[in-house]
Amino acid sequence: MKEEILNGLAEAVVSGDTEKAEKLAKDALANGIDPYEAIMEGCSKGMSIVSQKYECGDMYVPEILCSAEAMNIAIEILKPHIKVDPTAVPKKIIIGVTKGDVHEIGKNLVKLMMEAAGFKVVDLGRDVPTEKFVEAVKTENADVCAMSALMTTSMIFMPEIISQVKKAKPNVITMVGGGPLSLDTAKQYGADGYAKDASLAVKVTKELLSRGA
Amino acid sequence: MHALLTGQKPDRIPVIPFAFGYTAKLAGLPIGDFYSDGKKCFWCQLMAADLHGYDATPMYGYASVGAWEFGGKIGFPYEVGHGAPYVIKHPIETEEDVDKIEIPDPKTAGANPIMMEVAKQANALGMPAIFQIGGFITYCGNAMEPARMLHWMIRKPELVHKFINKVEEYQKLVTDWFVDTFGAEKCMVFSGGAIESNKVISPKQYETFALPHEININKYIFSKGLHVVMMHPCADQNKNLPFYKQIREACGWKGKYVWNFGPETPIEKQIEAFGAHDIIAGNVDPPSFQTRSFDEVLMLCKDNIERGLKNPSGYILMPGCEMPPLAPPINVHAMMVAARKFGSFG
Repeated sequence: MKEEILNGLAEAVVSGDTEKAEKLAKDALANGIDPYEAIMEGCSKGMSIVSQKYECGDMYVPEILCSAEAMNIAIEILKPHIKVDPTAVPKKIIIGVTKGDVHEIGKNLVKLMMEAAGFKVVDLGRDVPTEKFVEAVKTENADVCAMSALMTTSMIFMPEIISQVKKAKPNVITMVGGGPLSLDTAKQYGADGYAKDASLAVKVTKELLSRGA
Repeated sequence: MHALLTGQKPDRIPVIPFAFGYTAKLAGLPIGDFYSDGKKCFWCQLMAADLHGYDATPMYGYASVGAWEFGGKIGFPYEVGHGAPYVIKHPIETEEDVDKIEIPDPKTAGANPIMMEVAKQANALGMPAIFQIGGFITYCGNAMEPARMLHWMIRKPELVHKFINKVEEYQKLVTDWFVDTFGAEKCMVFSGGAIESNKVISPKQYETFALPHEININKYIFSKGLHVVMMHPCADQNKNLPFYKQIREACGWKGKYVWNFGPETPIEKQIEAFGAHDIIAGNVDPPSFQTRSFDEVLMLCKDNIERGLKNPSGYILMPGCEMPPLAPPINVHAMMVAARKFGSFG
């Protein structure tokens, strides 16, 4: 029964079935399944499958948005019932689109997949000045600072952001991404990591964190 | 350019840097002026072409098209970090808005008066009057806000279809206006969009939502006597390429199209699809003009030229999208050096 519900939750997320996600989230609670486990082994597992499918071109942004919708419906039902473990501190990611840029689909996809992977994400939004990234890294004691840009005119702020956040918190991991970026440019800018799409962003971030970059 | 468009052999490959905001920076003007003032927009482009010696005709077009035209609001790129107009308010925010929204008068809609000003200036000097249409997914995404449109594509496809039908009717009016103003033989079409990218939508979604309208509008422009189209399928549209070929087939391969795909689409695939009839333009990686050295850019151009010259219907050296506004001029110059060194004919 438990496996059926958890697998069903994952499938509901993959297929973007909001009704099924709602029903199974309620079923999980009714059947005494730990709500955190239901989120991680059901919802997040489903989003992880979505992420892989996006990476290999089997799913696209419209489907991902529907998957996110189903996942969020389930999470909203399950979250209030989670017993908070004070020793469990998820890694925290600051994410934003750099100054002058208002394109945020890519950033929102990264945010979605990072949250599904268990990270706590602080979204600074778009058109974010350097000082706001720095302030957020300090205030939130972030583990990762992720920057996105779709415009060549706004990606030029990334080197300064990276330099400033590293001064503020030397062990923070810096990640960059977005259309005009490349691995070469990321290295030039001094970033710790680069990913060309949202699903790879999760992989690269996990790898860098495990290495203690 | 004329030689190429009329099927003759030019003395060297034409160069079109797809330079917009760059020309404003070169002229010492804010990029915001380029997009908000038709006279300045034309002048910047004319002067940059004169300075560098390249072959582009001044034109007006922008990636956020559709929002302002249908009653929303855009901001002009005057602040640090801005490179192009951006949407401040989308005209469609609710399902009811889709029904309520009216097809605008092309003469006053959004940036059209600015586009017309640039076209008039060009026409006065014997250059083509260029207008922007097509890119239905981009138009729709800009009007609805991309995430809302993408979500509705699955949940409420009828709303997306309803609005795109209105976009098609509007684009026919834009076409009529330009043809009535200048005459078909003096006009050229620019068509493009980035939200059509296969990093965003599937080829099936392109086929469902965009393809029928692209075929319709392309047939329409031929019916009005137009025959030169610059197509810019922006970003990675490799999976949409068969549909672009289908558009040409549906139009009987009339006219002359210039295909400027993003850097993600190999020139060889473009030649295979369009080479028997159309010109291939580009598609050097645009950010490289900003981030790489002169020598590196020269080699990128050389590689693109050597591959593009295999197109039997002609080739233009172009970046795969807009020249970065902050590209150092010496790297734009690299295109001219490459064209003369690697793209001259006897």
